Amino acid sequence: MSLHPYFEIVVFVGVALIFPVMPLILAWMWRRFFQPPKPGAAKNATYECGMESLGEAQIQFRSQYYLYAIIFLIFDVEAVFLVPFAVAFTGLPVGAFLSILVFLLLLIEGLVWAWGKGCLNWAK
Amino acid sequence: METLEQIKKRIEAAVPGAKIDIVNNGSPSAQHSLKIDNEHARDVARFLRDDPALRFDFCSNVTGVDWLDRVIKKTVKTKQVVDGVEKDVDLTSEEKIPGYLEAVYHLFSIAHKHGPVIIRMQTGRANAQLSSLTPIWRSAELQEREIFDLYGIKFEGHPDLRRILMWDEFEDFPMRKDYRPPDDFEWEPTPHDDVLERAKQHYPARPTETELKPS
Amino acid sequence: MGDEIDEGLRSELQRQGIWVTSMQELYNWGRKNSIWPLQFGLACCAIEMIATAASRYDIARFGAEVFRPSPRQADLMIVAGTVTKKMAPQIVRLYNQMPDPKYVIAMGACAISGGPFKQGYNVLKGIDRYIPVDVYIPGCPPRPEALLHAFMELQRKIDNQKLSGPNKSDHLDREHPSEYPVPAFGKHDLVPRANPDVFRPPQIERV
Ligand code: SF4
Repeated sequence: MSLHPYFEIVVFVGVALIFPVMPLILAWMWRRFFQPPKPGAAKNATYECGMESLGEAQIQFRSQYYLYAIIFLIFDVEAVFLVPFAVAFTGLPVGAFLSILVFLLLLIEGLVWAWGKGCLNWAK
Repeated sequence: METLEQIKKRIEAAVPGAKIDIVNNGSPSAQHSLKIDNEHARDVARFLRDDPALRFDFCSNVTGVDWLDRVIKKTVKTKQVVDGVEKDVDLTSEEKIPGYLEAVYHLFSIAHKHGPVIIRMQTGRANAQLSSLTPIWRSAELQEREIFDLYGIKFEGHPDLRRILMWDEFEDFPMRKDYRPPDDFEWEPTPHDDVLERAKQHYPARPTETELKPS
Repeated sequence: MGDEIDEGLRSELQRQGIWVTSMQELYNWGRKNSIWPLQFGLACCAIEMIATAASRYDIARFGAEVFRPSPRQADLMIVAGTVTKKMAPQIVRLYNQMPDPKYVIAMGACAISGGPFKQGYNVLKGIDRYIPVDVYIPGCPPRPEALLHAFMELQRKIDNQKLSGPNKSDHLDREHPSEYPVPAFGKHDLVPRANPDVFRPPQIERV
């Protein structure tokens, strides 16, 4: 009798489920039979390095934060390109030099645009 | 650098009404200091900072001192006629100085590479108040806060006078000599002197005779 | 479950290639070899703690190299250094936020009694005034070996904890508290000065 071609996948999924669920069940049973839960006000409070916690842990970030992150990302990548450029600087042909200048120009243009849009102002 | 006497003279000329005293330091370091009065303190400080020959642009250290009441004995040799004979007699006079709090500033000049000049300001223990020199030297800000915290001297004109080391609810001034630490002496393994005295108050009472002899 | 296995029977079985253990042993064995400390240091003693974690003394040999930056994942609090009165409420709060089972090592003269600053106005005379301490290490600072010794003592202690019965471990006891009151900043001192449930100084006895 030949096995169904999907049989191995079913076994796979089964194992993949048992592995994470099994410890959870064990932990739950452990709690149920041995270790009583001891929740408390301080224990359940938001962790703030031991200071008295203020407010919730889940807070909303302002969308400007993401703009910052994106701008950072762009200039982060720029730095990655600039390092080999600096290393090979003395042996560069004119064409390569000009093209990296164009690259820089594009990025600086982007920065000027973001600046002009006011994306770098934190407090609005 | 000019001597303290010269500086004193020039301050008195520049800041009319300022009362400046030279406090001598008898120790080998001989770092004498200028005592300046509270009303003109900021003008004097500004003069010390801005005068082109002095230019004390850096206040390296601010500290507080609590002086207890003290008696200074002065002996003066005088000639007196005793029983018709002229004799050398030591006359001892006692001067009582009531205790006071003091703020001491050490000034250096980075521009002229000289210093230190030490200035002191005094205030009474009750309602201690001095004028802040933070507007003149920004580096004094945290140290004046510390003096406020530990000695209780209020620096009037300070931009942000809060406690810095102790918590805000704290009411005592722990570096003052009359500070008495709270009574947490319940367990002292090796008590001695003052600690022993205070630890004893936590010892259980001596058992009485009847308790000692169980019937 | 917590009953001891007969040692002779066990070694006999082991010779036959069968390894017998009890749940209690397994549980304690797992716990004692993965004591994760909470990552914080208070003063000079913390430098020795860092040295203990570095390669020369290598706390990883005891399974405790994982210094956790959050109390939620920590089993052990190493109070390494001077506990000032301003810091004490934060320490107690961190202890409260640790999940059970949790242990405390008081490292150094400062943490066990206030040390050189004992008569100062701002230093707590021992963290055991507010939270229960399992192992005390004297010294100023204690050498890394001393901290390792404390670890081994703690492992021994964990190994002897019972899973059931009247002497069962504190964290398995429903009645045993897992949080202790956080002292408040008072006008002259912390309020209260000590937690009487935790801090029981030896009484002076007179005969
Ligand atoms: S016990 Fe000594 S080494 Fe440790 S924190 Fe206190 S003063 Fe520093």
